[in-house]
Amino acid sequence: MQKSKLISAVAAVCAIGVAVPAAVASNWGSFPGVTIEAKLIGGQQYEGLYGRIAEWEAATGASVEIISKKSHFEIDKEIKSDMAAGTTGWCVGSNHSSFAPQYEGLYVDLNDFVPAETVAEFVQGNISASTINGELLMLPRAQFDVSVLYYLKSNYEDSEKAAAFKAEYGYDLAVPDTWEQVKDQAIFFADPPNFYGTQYAGKDEAIVGRFYELVVAEGGNYLDEDKRPIFNSEAGERALQWFVDLYEAQAVPAGTLSYVWDDLGQGFASGTVALNLDWPGWAGFFNDPESSKAAGNVGVTIQPMGSVTRTGWSGHHGFSVTNDCEHKAAAASLVMFLTGEESQTAESAGGSLPTRSSVWDANIAAAQSGDDSFRAEALAAFAAGAEYAFAVPPIPEWGESTNIVFPELQAAILGDKTVKEALDDAAAGVDELMRESGYY
Amino acid sequence: MAKHLRVFRHTPEHRKKGTMRRRLPEWFVLLLPAFIIMAAVVLIPLVFSLYSSFTPYKLTRPSTLWRWIGTSNYEKILTDVKFWSAFGRTILFLTIALNLELLFGLLIALMVNKVTLGQRTIRTILMFPMMFSPILVGFQFKFIFNDNIGLANNALQALGISDAALPWLVDGKLAMFSIIFAEVWMSTSVFAVLILAGLFAIPRDPLEAAKVDGCTAWQTFRHITLPFLMPFIFIALTIRSLDVARAYDIVQIMTGGGPAGRTELIWTLMSRTGYVDARMGLANAMGYVSILLSIAFTIYFFKKLSAARSELGFGDKI
Amino acid sequence: MNRSQTHRSRRRILKALHLLGLFLIMALICIPGLWIVLNSFRPTVEILAKPPVWTPTFTLEHYRAMFGGAGEGGVPVFHYFSNSLIVSVASTVIAIFIGMGGGYAFARYRFRFKNGYFVGLMLFRAVPGVALSLPLFIVFAQVGLIDTHIGLILVYVAMNVPFTIWLTDGFFRQIPKEFHEAAEIDGCTRWQAFWKVEFPVARSGVASAAIFAFLTSWNEFALASQLTRSVGSKTMPVGLLDFTAEFTINWGGMCALAVLMIIPALVLTFIVQKHLIAGLTFGGVKG
Repeated sequence: MQKSKLISAVAAVCAIGVAVPAAVASNWGSFPGVTIEAKLIGGQQYEGLYGRIAEWEAATGASVEIISKKSHFEIDKEIKSDMAAGTTGWCVGSNHSSFAPQYEGLYVDLNDFVPAETVAEFVQGNISASTINGELLMLPRAQFDVSVLYYLKSNYEDSEKAAAFKAEYGYDLAVPDTWEQVKDQAIFFADPPNFYGTQYAGKDEAIVGRFYELVVAEGGNYLDEDKRPIFNSEAGERALQWFVDLYEAQAVPAGTLSYVWDDLGQGFASGTVALNLDWPGWAGFFNDPESSKAAGNVGVTIQPMGSVTRTGWSGHHGFSVTNDCEHKAAAASLVMFLTGEESQTAESAGGSLPTRSSVWDANIAAAQSGDDSFRAEALAAFAAGAEYAFAVPPIPEWGESTNIVFPELQAAILGDKTVKEALDDAAAGVDELMRESGYY
Repeated sequence: MAKHLRVFRHTPEHRKKGTMRRRLPEWFVLLLPAFIIMAAVVLIPLVFSLYSSFTPYKLTRPSTLWRWIGTSNYEKILTDVKFWSAFGRTILFLTIALNLELLFGLLIALMVNKVTLGQRTIRTILMFPMMFSPILVGFQFKFIFNDNIGLANNALQALGISDAALPWLVDGKLAMFSIIFAEVWMSTSVFAVLILAGLFAIPRDPLEAAKVDGCTAWQTFRHITLPFLMPFIFIALTIRSLDVARAYDIVQIMTGGGPAGRTELIWTLMSRTGYVDARMGLANAMGYVSILLSIAFTIYFFKKLSAARSELGFGDKI
Repeated sequence: MNRSQTHRSRRRILKALHLLGLFLIMALICIPGLWIVLNSFRPTVEILAKPPVWTPTFTLEHYRAMFGGAGEGGVPVFHYFSNSLIVSVASTVIAIFIGMGGGYAFARYRFRFKNGYFVGLMLFRAVPGVALSLPLFIVFAQVGLIDTHIGLILVYVAMNVPFTIWLTDGFFRQIPKEFHEAAEIDGCTRWQAFWKVEFPVARSGVASAAIFAFLTSWNEFALASQLTRSVGSKTMPVGLLDFTAEFTINWGGMCALAVLMIIPALVLTFIVQKHLIAGLTFGGVKG
C-alpha cells in the first residue's frame, strides 16, 4: 500500500520532469518537492496572473504557497514589519519601484540568478528603475504605470464652444498639448458644481508625484545629484502655481485635495470632468458602459508638455526574491515565469501595460489590427507617453519626503501660504531629512 | 479532641496544602488568566515599545533598535508644532464627539423609552451602526461626503437647499465636521443603549410621587431621571474613552489627516510616522503620549462614575 | 371642557412630534447604513453618478462577482467568513469565561489593592490599537503566532476581558451571599453552587457582555490587518481591502462583502436584545 503510493508519487514526479521540457518551449527548471512561500499584492487587477502559477508548479514540480495577499500599502506595511521582526524567511515578494529602495538588504540582486539575455528582453527604462545601487532588485511584471490624458470627446465637437473659446483665448479649441492649454480649457469648461475642467490627486504621495512631474516638465527637478531638495526653484513655483490657479478658478472640484486615485477615477467616470490625467488601469473602466457614464465619449492622448518637456511620473510592479530564501534558484524561476512573455501577454490582455518590449509591440500590433479602436487609441497614447517616463529617486527617503511635502503643497493650494513660502518650508523639511539620513 | 485535631493539622501533607492555599488565594487564581492574557498581549509589547521609543528605531533597519539615544525622540515631538497641534486637535475632536454622542444618545434613549410597540426591533435598529467595522464607516463617509458625486451634496442639491458643491473633506471646519459626524454616527448607539438600560432601571415610585406633587416633565427629568442616569452616562463615557482610538480607522480613510494637516489627529500622525516613514522609535514616543491621553480620559470618567455612584448610594468601589 | 380639549390636542401634538423625532433619528441612523446595502445591489455606473440616479436598478452582479473566481472580482468569501466566525466566537467564549472568573473574584473576595487591580485592567484596554499593533506584531512573530487564528483570538480575548469583568462583577455583587451559602449547605460544592445559583442570575449580564465582545471582535481592523496575512486567517474587515488596488476601488463589491458582514451581527443582536438591556442595567450601575 505505502509502497505503491511511493511509486506512484515518484512516477508522477518523473512524468512531470520528462514531459515538461518537451511540451513547453521555456524551461523553468526542475525543483521537485520545493515549496516557495510568496507574498503577493492582492486586488482584482493583479490577481489574474496568479491563476497561472499552477502551470509553473506543474512544470517544475515545486509548489507555491501564497502566505500573504494584501493591497498595495498594506503589503508594504507588512514587509516593513517583517524586516523589523526578522521574519523574512519567505521567498518571493511583490514589489514596486517606489517601494523597492526602502527594503534595504531584504532582496537579492537578481543579476546573479537571471540570465543577462532575459534581462535584456525587458524595457530598459523599467530595468533601470528596478536597479538600485547596481543591484537588480526586482523583475518588472506587466503592471507598468504612467499617466496620459483622458478627455471627453464631446467638448471638442461643439462648434459654439469652439467659437466662444477662440474669442476668449485667441487660439483654436483642440485637445490640449501643453499644461497651459489644459489650464485654459479647464477654466473654460468648468461649470461648478455640475461640471469641472479637470482634477488632480490632492494628498499623500499622489500629489507630490503630480507636482514632481510638472516641476520636471518646467525644467526643474525634485532633488539634485547630492539629494538636496531643489524643487523650490522657479520651475517649482511655476508648477505649483498651476495647481493653485486651477483651484482658485474653481476649475477643479473643491474636494480635489482629499482625492486620491479612486476618487479621481470615479469622478471622471461620472462624466463630469473634462480633462483627466490618469493611469492605464482605468482605461477599460472609463469606456465600459457598465461602470462609466463617460463610456463612448472618452478620448486618450499623450500627456501634455510643460514649458520645457513632457514628463511622466511612472512606477511599476514586480517580483523580488529575498536574501533569506532557501531555494533562491527556484524562487528566481518563479519570478521569471511571472514576468515572462506568456505571463505578460496574458496579464496585459486585461488592460495593464507590459514591461517587455516584445509584448508592447505585439499588443500594439494586435490593437491596431483589431476592431477595438478605443483600445488602439489608448495603447498608442500610453506607448507614446511611456517614452517620457521617469521613476522617483531610488532612495529609501522618497516616501518620507512626500509626507513632508504634501501638506505644504496643500497649504499653498488652499491659500494658507504663498507658493514661495510653501515650497521653501517643504524644502527645509526635506533638507533636514536628507541631512539626518547622511547624504551630505 | 482538640489535641487530635492539632496533630492532624500538623501532618506534612496538610501543611503543604495550607501554604499552597495561602500562596495562591482563590481570588488570585480566578484573576490569574485575566492577568496572564493582559500581560502577554498588552504589557510585553508595551515594554518593548517603551524601550524602542528611546532608540532611533527604523523598521527597515532593525539594527537601529540597539542604539540608545535617550529622550531625543521625546524632545523632538515635544518641540514639534505639528505634534502639538495634532494633540490639541485630538482633544478637541474627542471632547466634541463625546459630548455630542452623549447628548444624542440621551435624546434617542428618552424617545425610544416612550415607544411601546415594536421596541425590540427599534432597539436593534438603534444598534445598527455598531455592526459596521470602523474601516467600513470610513469608506462609507468618504463617499457620502465626496464633494462632486457624494450622497450629501447630491441630496442637498436635489432638495434645493444648496447648489454649491460643498467641499466636505477639504474646508477646515467642514472637514472636522465630517469626521466628527462619522464618529458620532458610529458611536452614539453605545450611549443610547446604555442610557436606555438606565431608563429601564429607574424605580417607578419617585416618578409617580413627582407626578402627584405636580412636577412638570422637565422638573421630573432634571431632579429624578437625570441623577439616576448619571452613573450610566459615565459608564458609557468610560467605555467609549477606552476605545476612542477606534476613530483612527475612520479618519485615516476619510481624510488621512489632511488637507494641510487640518484634520490631523495624534493617531494619524503616529501611524504615518511609524509605517510610511518607518520611524518606529519616534512613532512609539508619540504612541506613549497618546496612551497617556487615553488613560487620562478613562481615569477622569472613572472618577466621575464613582462620584455619581456614591451619590446614589451604590457600591463601595471606585 | 375646553381646557381638557386643548390639553388633549396638546398631547396629540406632542405625540406626533415624538413620532416624527423618532422617525428622523432612525432615518439618520439607517440611511448611511442602508446606502451601503443599496449600493451592493446597484450597478457601478449608478452608485457614484452625477447627476444622481434616484431610482435604482437592481442587480446581483456584485454578489455574483464576489463568489466568482479570483481575477474576475472574486474574493475568498467563505474563508474570510469562517475565519471571522471562528475568531469572534472563540474569543468571545474564552473572554466570557476568563472575565466571569475575574468578575466573581472582584465581587466576592476582599483583597488588597483591589481597586488598583481593577483600574489597571481597564487601563490596559485603553491602549490604542494603532500604538499596539507593531510591538504586538514583533512579539507575536517571535513566538510564531502571526497569521494564526490563535494569535488573533488571544488579542481579542485581551480586548474583551476587562469589559466582561466589569459587567459580571456588577451582577455577582447584587446576588446576596446567602444564596450560595444556602446551596453549599444543601451539599453543593462551591463550583456547583456557582453554576446552579449565581450563574443563572448573571445570565443576562453575560449575554450583554458577550454581544459587545462579539461585535468588537467581528469588526476590529487595526490589529487584524497587522496580525493576519493569508486567506487562512484574514477576517472580513481585512478582506474589505481586497476590493482596493493601487489606483482603483470596487465600491459596489466592497458593499456586497460589507452586507455579508452586517447580517450575522444584526441577527445575533436581535436575538439577544432582551438580555442586552437587562444585562447592562444591573451590570453597570451596581458594579
